[in-house]
Amino acid sequence: MTTEDVKKVKDKEVRKQVVIPLLQHTGTVCEPIVDKKTDVLIGQKIGEGDDEFSVPVHSSTAGTVVAIEERPHPICGSVPSVIIETNETNDTIEFKTSKNPSKEYIISALKDSGVVELNGYSLYNMLTSEKQINTVLISLSFSGDVSSNCAPENIASIIEGMNLLIKASDAQQGAFIIQKDDRQLISAIESGLSIEADIEIHTVEQDYSPSMANLLAYEITGMQIPNTCTPLDAGVLLSSASSALAVRKAVLEGIPQIKVNVTVTGAVHNPGVKNVRIGTSIKEVINSCGGYSGEPGKIIMNGIFSGTALSTDEVPVIKSTSHIIVQSSDEVLHDIPGPCIQCARCVDICPVNILPGRIASFADMGMHDECSKLHVNSCVECGLCVYVCPSSRHILQLIRYSKTVLQQLVEYEDESKSSGCLSCETPCLASTPFISNGGIL
Amino acid sequence: MKFTVSHPSHIREGVTIKSIMWSKIVILLVLSLFSVVVFGLQALALVLVSVLAAVLTEAGIQKLTNQELTIKDGDAVLIGLIMALLLPPDIKLWIPVVGAFFAVALVKHGFGGLGSTLFNPAIAAWVFMKMSWGALTGSGSIPHIGEYTDLLVEFGAGRLAEVSSVVLIIGGLYLVYKKYIDWRIPLLYLSSTIIVAVILGEELSYVLTGMLFLGVFILAPDPTTSPITKNGRIIYGLLCGIMTVIYGYLTYNYVVAVLYTVFFANAVAPFIEKNTYPKPVNEVPA
Repeated sequence: MTTEDVKKVKDKEVRKQVVIPLLQHTGTVCEPIVDKKTDVLIGQKIGEGDDEFSVPVHSSTAGTVVAIEERPHPICGSVPSVIIETNETNDTIEFKTSKNPSKEYIISALKDSGVVELNGYSLYNMLTSEKQINTVLISLSFSGDVSSNCAPENIASIIEGMNLLIKASDAQQGAFIIQKDDRQLISAIESGLSIEADIEIHTVEQDYSPSMANLLAYEITGMQIPNTCTPLDAGVLLSSASSALAVRKAVLEGIPQIKVNVTVTGAVHNPGVKNVRIGTSIKEVINSCGGYSGEPGKIIMNGIFSGTALSTDEVPVIKSTSHIIVQSSDEVLHDIPGPCIQCARCVDICPVNILPGRIASFADMGMHDECSKLHVNSCVECGLCVYVCPSSRHILQLIRYSKTVLQQLVEYEDESKSSGCLSCETPCLASTPFISNGGIL
Repeated sequence: MKFTVSHPSHIREGVTIKSIMWSKIVILLVLSLFSVVVFGLQALALVLVSVLAAVLTEAGIQKLTNQELTIKDGDAVLIGLIMALLLPPDIKLWIPVVGAFFAVALVKHGFGGLGSTLFNPAIAAWVFMKMSWGALTGSGSIPHIGEYTDLLVEFGAGRLAEVSSVVLIIGGLYLVYKKYIDWRIPLLYLSSTIIVAVILGEELSYVLTGMLFLGVFILAPDPTTSPITKNGRIIYGLLCGIMTVIYGYLTYNYVVAVLYTVFFANAVAPFIEKNTYPKPVNEVPA
């Protein structure tokens, strides 16, 4: 091999690739609309679905499509993905900017921009559903989202995003939801709000992960929303800081959702917030933070209490990624579960007021009927019961097991009804569309 | 590179069965120390024999049935220790040996081991000993809190647990503060006892004995035998308080009242629990 060849090979290896999954939302997998060897630009649409729940996927880089194949996905095993080799240029498609958009313009801009909530719902679908929206809530209470997106320079943009959402949804009022202890953020938002706008600030006590959307809406509006419904059914559009930023970008600057802010914490050399292209592998993100410090044991996406542990660091960052936590190998829990001593610590901490430990014991014995009677399907999977369990029992795993079995039973009995669960951080993207009216669970 | 995959949560609070059990044991050991001061070495022998018998019984059962030894979690030690505290110091030492065997072998392991017991093993064993050898397990003295110093050390105590209320109060508040026991049962048990006793015109100096505080902070909130539902624990606490006063009012013995009350409350706890299942805040309409 000549030196030139070696250089070529090396060049090829060094060439950065992004892996963009065609599924980053709740719904069905998008169809790729580009072919192998096509050249794509930043912001070009590369995947589109034909049903109402799909959200288009855009290229986050300029380069050439080298493959369209199944690749590991942070949540859903492996999913068809478009692999793009970047050419290190910043060639973009023409972005359509707007100064003072009308309601129709906002909605049409959101349709093409593929903005997705942290729990996988498409904002466009939420705005165009038949349900009347009275209130727009932007949750600044999920710590991963807050640390990534609520830097002081973003506050004005978040408020702009809020105003755009209120305009698009014809809502009467809007509110920011902030954790009580976060005084800094409260005062930042307060000073950013203009007086005449009908936007309030609500404080909550705990960290609400995206899977706890219904619970958060209940906390603010007092309306009970079962897990088969979404806050939308109560007239509430629940959004997050990251989506508010994405909305503002999509509407005013015409840029689709191709980048996310990700906080990296834990066993890395330089923890911090990174603005990352969607499709970048987690490994690359961690390398940009100075790499692992020590032997890594676990990579957790989106929250230490309820986040997903990743099996490999080769998975890409997707639209709902907001927080990456690296645990060193000695931090990883290896405790062996003991018997339940019925101390009821899980009952005391449960935010939805069910009996997690008892349900887990029934699930362990395969008594899923009993689990169903004890409202296993109300569980929002916040992970707090496992956190406090003195016996290190796998409560959440057993609850998920029971939910899955019950769901399969329902599907077996009545295949025409689609049912959904709020199981994962992002609800199971591969299953049937989430929003259902006749769901049993 | 290999990564661990698991369900959430990925961290733990750090409270374990061990930490709960051993902090209770430490509190009761301090109490035992007070009892040694009051009763002398008789009390020390009783505590040692009782704990040793409970631990050996547990070890024997787990060896025989090829289970993992769980002495370290402290449950057997706690059972032996509580049982010793319920007995008078001058008891013949073969009685606690039989009692500890009964508690660990029948009441604990007979019902499925740690976490599955219906009755608090120490109380069940006490009831068993009381029924079997009533004259031998009785105490010659009933505590009377005549002065405030009696709360710290009561020389008129008949049983080991009665020697010091202050140790149990401080220890109990520590357990509540660390969230090792729930606050509902102690609060409602103690307050309902006092309120009902005052209504019935009882003298509180006979009611607020060390045994009552042992019941309030250690026996009644025992995790396994009390209801797991929040409302259930409130009812359970109220029931304990009311029953204690009724029993004490009729028999003039508030010490035994606590033990029989908790024994009775243990029996009805599953019933209370079943009728107080909570409604989830996001209940799915039927």
